[in-house]
Amino acid sequence: MEFEAVIGLEIHVELNCATKLFCDCPNNPGDDPNINTCPVCLWFPGAAPRLSRAALEKAALLCLGLNAELQPVSAFDQKVYYYPDLPKGFQLSQAHLPLSKGGWIDITDEDGSPKRMRIHHIHMEEDVAKLVHEMEGRTPISLVDFNRAGAPLVEIVTEPDFRSPHHAMEFLKALRAQVRYVGSSECSMDNGTMRVDANISIRPKGTNQMNTKVEVKNMNSVRHVGDAIAHEISRQSAAVQAGDAVVLHTRLWDPDKKVTLPMRQKFEGPCIPDPTVPIIELSAEEISALRSRLPEMPATRAERFVKEHGLSAEEATYLSSDPDMAQYFEELIRAGAQARAAMHWLTTQLLPAVRDRRQELSQTPVTPARLAALLTMLASDTINANAARDVLSHLFDSEDSPEDIVRAKGLAQVSDTGALEAMIAGVLAAQPMAVADVKSGQGKAMGFLIGQVMQASGGKANPKVIRELLQKKLSAS
Amino acid sequence: MDSIFCYRNPVTSDASSGLLQGKKVAVQPNIPVAGWPAESGSQALAGFKALEDAAVVLRLTQNGARIMGATHMSEFGFGLAGSTAGQAIAQNEADAELVLDLAGEARLIAARAGVWGFKPGYGLVPRVGITGLIPSMEACGILGKTPGNIRAILQSIAGPDERDFSQPDQAPPNFSTDGIEPGKMTLGVIDETVNALSEKNRVAFEKEMDDLKKTGFRIKALAWSDYALCPTVHQIVGAVEASSCAGRYDSVRYGKRAPVAKNWNEMYLQSRGASFGTLLKSYLIQGAFFQFERYDAYENACRIRARLVKGTQSLLAQVDALVFPVKNAAAPDAPETLTDFYKQFAHTAQANITGCPALCLPPSAANGTAMQVMARPNADARVMALGEYLYRQRKGGN
Repeated sequence: MEFEAVIGLEIHVELNCATKLFCDCPNNPGDDPNINTCPVCLWFPGAAPRLSRAALEKAALLCLGLNAELQPVSAFDQKVYYYPDLPKGFQLSQAHLPLSKGGWIDITDEDGSPKRMRIHHIHMEEDVAKLVHEMEGRTPISLVDFNRAGAPLVEIVTEPDFRSPHHAMEFLKALRAQVRYVGSSECSMDNGTMRVDANISIRPKGTNQMNTKVEVKNMNSVRHVGDAIAHEISRQSAAVQAGDAVVLHTRLWDPDKKVTLPMRQKFEGPCIPDPTVPIIELSAEEISALRSRLPEMPATRAERFVKEHGLSAEEATYLSSDPDMAQYFEELIRAGAQARAAMHWLTTQLLPAVRDRRQELSQTPVTPARLAALLTMLASDTINANAARDVLSHLFDSEDSPEDIVRAKGLAQVSDTGALEAMIAGVLAAQPMAVADVKSGQGKAMGFLIGQVMQASGGKANPKVIRELLQKKLSAS
Repeated sequence: MDSIFCYRNPVTSDASSGLLQGKKVAVQPNIPVAGWPAESGSQALAGFKALEDAAVVLRLTQNGARIMGATHMSEFGFGLAGSTAGQAIAQNEADAELVLDLAGEARLIAARAGVWGFKPGYGLVPRVGITGLIPSMEACGILGKTPGNIRAILQSIAGPDERDFSQPDQAPPNFSTDGIEPGKMTLGVIDETVNALSEKNRVAFEKEMDDLKKTGFRIKALAWSDYALCPTVHQIVGAVEASSCAGRYDSVRYGKRAPVAKNWNEMYLQSRGASFGTLLKSYLIQGAFFQFERYDAYENACRIRARLVKGTQSLLAQVDALVFPVKNAAAPDAPETLTDFYKQFAHTAQANITGCPALCLPPSAANGTAMQVMARPNADARVMALGEYLYRQRKGGN
């Protein structure tokens, strides 16, 4: 029997607010343990939660960036469970009246066709404390770090529209791009600002049944989400083929062994309305004011890149997936670089170099203006590609302009035919075999000869001029 | 052990100034003063000392009041058992006292001590810092030897606190005593409240109504069949809120932690099991039952609460204030079950469910029955002005 998977995602995104959700403590979970705490986020007797306006706005912008409909009335509920990371016994979350309903993200299917993945709702909630397990001599002890307690989160709950690991991975990449655009979060699975749980069930292909699902957690990259889903689909298919029932439970992804393993069950009850945090009311005016703060979103920007700069859809989508990268590209163009060269040099040369140096694109000393000046010299044949790569690496360590670097290092391309002709004559005399091969029509030999001349020039010759001169010379003799 | 105070303020000097200069105020340990024990009558908070002043305490001291000490209280202020609140006033140790009113405690404790007791409307007085149990129902109540003492305290502690988002953003009223003209006022009496009285108490209550009539007030009888639902709704919704709210009183970070346990689950279970008293434990378990096993019943109780709020509004649209007898004939003095417990609060819980302000008058010497007046939300100043009028009338003034 052939099976198909039915997958829904629950994605927790930590908002990049300066403070926590219900108090003024810094939202820096990575600081020294329990530094960023107060009676509110320690959940002490008498402490009253105060919803952060900034967190509400960032959450609302995130919803709008994912095409969701902000609700005029939303409210917090108490999600009751007992665990030492939640010593007040309940988490403030929005179970009954979420911040937004609906929404969608468009992705490209395996076969290249567009596919719309729907979002069920998006709600806000507070993060819980972090447990640290250590040994005190021979006694295992558990410590609680409240820096993360009360950190502002949103949870994005999708419809079960996903059928493959590809769908999930494409959705997550697009979601990350869109959330970065609205500026609500970095959405890094690596450092935990985006956490993904997948609910997976299988059914005979072609049927509409909804079978028992299994929840998989603990994936810390988009790739792991894909791997975990693929593993879970084959595990469940094998179980059903063998006549075993799929039981409702939660499994953890083990990235080393590449398997999912069952985990402990957390006891959870129904949510009751929280009587302390006031109901959130958003007027039509407030919602439209928030909407006017939305930037151009990645899909629109990609379309514009195709139309204005002649990039392929794939290139444009990649460039616009990150707001910093897209902005850098646009600044390169404004500074006079040609679109194709700008895209190529930004993605294949500059980005890896920036990453190697642990810099950010927005802060690297290689500003768009400097790189554009370099690319202009390349386009006008003042230097060749080898020299340009050389200059680029100097741009990281020097404040000189690309023009000054070219001058100082003597990297200007030799296009002077007189000087080149002398070198060519020398190469032709030294390589009679290759000359014979070219004359008998073997194209490879031409490349060899060009390489020889280039070597003779110390890498500075203009390859186009060499080719022209060689062709003239060989056809004449 | 002090018979009135569980903690007395060691600072006895008075160098303060302000609206409340020279006023002596007692609190209960669930209305914390920084550095004082704040155990709230529970082993679950044994040894817990307040980190900061409750917002109301801060306002009292800023206005020059002297906080005399904290009186003994029932566990988390739930019910009257063990409370010595009211005694500080009765024995001239304080001019006023703050007592959390969850179902009517502040008012009934006042009546018991022969003083005046007021529960402010929801949101008038900040709750920040108060160790609560039923957030949507409770308010910081005020006891005073006279309505004037209560008004002075109210004028200092009412109004929004920037740390309490549950309060409306509106300036506190001016608690003046003007504007009470009996000839232009109608007081309502819900039939069902009179029917619940013993013969002796009914006669006494009707005599009081006659006296009010003679003063010039119009008395209007109102039938409201939903009235009996008030304590039931309070019990179900309150228990669910309390069960969830008391989660933070975990006896682990503070309180009495169980000494031996195999793992943390067991440690939590044993600590919580050993910390709470029988009555409160029944209440919390009942709340957990409704939340986890009968959520539909809890939802119904919430819907009925909304209906009771509406019903109360329409009653209060017909009259200026409602007048209640507060003593229920069937209520035992020391309840052992939740059912008996709620009999005590049969006539006070409505104000907590609906967020209305309510003032309890001490029994007049003549007949020994306490009486309560309640008005619509935000009419706190009106209730206090009416209280002042009735106080002067009892004194033989007006």
